[in-house]
Amino acid sequence: MSDTDVRPAFQSSDLMNMVRGGGVDIVPAGEFATEEMILNIGPQHPSTHGVLRIVVELDGEVITRAEPVIGYMHRGAEKLAEFRDARQTLVLMNRHDWLSAFNNELGWTIAVERLAEIEVPDRAQWIRTMFAEFNRIMNHLVFMGSYPLELGAMTPIFYSFREREMVQDLVESATGARMHHSFARVGGLKDDLPRGFLKRAGEVLVALRRLLKDYDQLIMGNEIVFKRCRDVGPIHPSIAVAYGCSGPTLQSTGVAMDPRKDTPYEKYGEVEFEVPVGARGDSYDRLWVLVQRVRQSCDIIEQCLDRLPAGPYRTGGLLNKAIKIPEGEIYVRTENPLGVQGYYVVGNGKKEPYRLKMRTASFSNISVLPSILPGTLVPDLIAILGSIFFVVGDVDK
Amino acid sequence: METQLHGGFGQGLVKGLSVTLRTMLHRSVTVQYPHVRPDLPARSRGVIALKQENCTVCYKCSRECPDWCIYIDAHKETHEPAGGGRARSAKILDRFAIDYALCMYCGICVEACPFDALFWSREFDYAEYDIHELTHEKERLEEWTYTVLPPPPLEVGAEASEEGRA
Repeated sequence: MSDTDVRPAFQSSDLMNMVRGGGVDIVPAGEFATEEMILNIGPQHPSTHGVLRIVVELDGEVITRAEPVIGYMHRGAEKLAEFRDARQTLVLMNRHDWLSAFNNELGWTIAVERLAEIEVPDRAQWIRTMFAEFNRIMNHLVFMGSYPLELGAMTPIFYSFREREMVQDLVESATGARMHHSFARVGGLKDDLPRGFLKRAGEVLVALRRLLKDYDQLIMGNEIVFKRCRDVGPIHPSIAVAYGCSGPTLQSTGVAMDPRKDTPYEKYGEVEFEVPVGARGDSYDRLWVLVQRVRQSCDIIEQCLDRLPAGPYRTGGLLNKAIKIPEGEIYVRTENPLGVQGYYVVGNGKKEPYRLKMRTASFSNISVLPSILPGTLVPDLIAILGSIFFVVGDVDK
Repeated sequence: METQLHGGFGQGLVKGLSVTLRTMLHRSVTVQYPHVRPDLPARSRGVIALKQENCTVCYKCSRECPDWCIYIDAHKETHEPAGGGRARSAKILDRFAIDYALCMYCGICVEACPFDALFWSREFDYAEYDIHELTHEKERLEEWTYTVLPPPPLEVGAEASEEGRA
């Protein structure tokens, strides 16, 4: 199908013209008018990390309309899950948002556990909470490095990836993988921690806190970053809520919505932490919230390390048994690094879920773009796009 | 709670440069990979090793694999016991191959194996120019067993599960 075909999804709106590359206005004779230009940004573009395509209508350098076109990375994770049992689906859940693998698998296992009424030992819950936060830090460090890179600053990515490597090494020593951990299991964890993990984790925390101090000096206090991001792409709280934004994108507007606080899962109800909120909802606030969230994650991990109890790491009698997902339905929402991750699972007594619906953070977050981009400049588009913090695999599932 | 810029213009740039300067005086953390090999943890999921003599051809691994990248062929052989009595049949493994082009490195097969025939090895440098060569047959999988490390000791407070280690 060529791009100029009329696609049903666009028939109902005048966006059709835009996608077709139309937009030629009829100008009355004798009058001057500027013709709007259609610009395709992406699907392959160095400044959009991943295959996200944005069609923008330009009046000079000012964006008059913008529409993200998604689906280039659709892998059908929901459908694939209908043919795989809980443990096999875990592998898929690792991959739709590859930067928050553990958080994804955590949400999925919690959904199955609640539906099948499986108790999880205390120790496993503490370790899971800790790993979810480690994964959050790993995720945020990528964006803390790549966002300045998109703005044109080369240096920060080296710092953030240097510290990320430490976290990754630590997590790898326990899970065996750097990205797709597959460490959570229904009823607990795959394995217990290796010896020396807690000590190393403490050392990593010290290094991370040092990085955050450096980061404040290098990025947050940098005049160029400040001028480039302050008041660029502000989102009004009501708009953010209406579009279902979550995570840093929502918290930067001043709305302190966080499932870790609102509907605590695992051990989040027992640890103390704050939900950082911004004031203006602009690009600078989004980055600021991201950095503050890493600080909070460090605090949570510290509490996990202190309070980790002895005990089993998984519920007995479940090893190597395919869990039957009982009849019923459940919706579990967890706080992923990028926002709220929801799993809606319908079971029918078989090993495979009857239906799985994923509510992914990035998908809702980028849906706000058409409402905030009009009126901004093309160079600012990059600053806004980068500050929304999304993973394309999470958008397209 | 909001971060504000203090001082005159340029102070942030100077502060940033001080970070750069401090890093410059530190030793580099870069590992010169082909010359220096990384010391990966024992749990690293690099490649799956097969100990053929432990395999009973139960097909559990190939069935549990999320993308079905394990290929097993076997035939049945019947033996007449020397002392007489009922003939015994045993499955003989003809082919065991893992297609690493498809493998998602989840470790479910290693976990599912009831007879300790599959192990993780931390070796990772088996890239090939031809995708077909990524399918490792049982001979190659057997070779990986010589690189398998024993599982690391567990952290303080860990309790061996009643089912033993996965």
